[in-house]
Amino acid sequence: MAVGRRDGKAGPDVLRRAGEASVLVLISLAGGPRHGYALIQDIKELAGVELGPGTLYGALDRLERLGLIEPLPAEDRRHPYRITAPGAAALRVHLDEVERVSAAGRLRLQLGGI
Amino acid sequence: MDEPRVARLVQAALRCYPARWQRRHGDEAAELATLLIRDGTPAGSVALSYLAGAAREWLTPRPVRQPVRRPRRRPGRRLSAAACALLAAACSLGVSAGLLASAGPARAASPSPARPPAPCQPAPCQPAQCQPAQCQAAQCQPGSAEPVPAVGRPQVIIRVAGHGRSC
Repeated sequence: MAVGRRDGKAGPDVLRRAGEASVLVLISLAGGPRHGYALIQDIKELAGVELGPGTLYGALDRLERLGLIEPLPAEDRRHPYRITAPGAAALRVHLDEVERVSAAGRLRLQLGGI
Repeated sequence: MDEPRVARLVQAALRCYPARWQRRHGDEAAELATLLIRDGTPAGSVALSYLAGAAREWLTPRPVRQPVRRPRRRPGRRLSAAACALLAAACSLGVSAGLLASAGPARAASPSPARPPAPCQPAPCQPAQCQPAQCQAAQCQPGSAEPVPAVGRPQVIIRVAGHGRSC
């Protein structure tokens, strides 16, 4: 499946339909490789969202299938993951898109005097 | 909840995943559940999250990497497998008649099962109260506990559900 370009240029926003959990996992992995428990803790601190373990593994599998993250060699029973170059590009595109929509929303609120 | 029971609960939820997933994530998922429960996450919440994940895992279509000549799977197989997984998990979670029966308001609202059904005491047959189909099917006789089927007509006895009374 085509994902973000390796050169880091903007491409289609593949994360638009990936779900909030996937985006949060990708944001967390942008800070460095992490395994499941560390991801849950980091996302809790970062966004105040407590991901369930089932949701987490679903997101990890989805992102790996898309080529946005990759597993690292297991440490004991834990499998750390890291973000790939296409993953970083896809996250950048998605965050730009979110920012654009957010700015448009703020502008409309301002213009509407709400 | 005591630890062995929690472990069993989580193990039951993890067994609902496909074998491929269990081989890959099973050990880590069990350890993660232990850590989360130790941190204060309710065991039921962890197990439910795994159950929902298992259902998603079964229902998510996987891309076929290579065409292999195998007997075609029936389309409803995944759905039935997921349903079985959820059912088994619900049983292991104790969501059963026992829990439902202990719910006070529900018990208060429902008719008591211990009360014996009222004996059939047919009122004098009043055609106005009977539905036409019922009156055609059976004729009431005062003093008789059961309606007497009409002679020469189809013998259909319609009972009001759960009360043991007939027309």
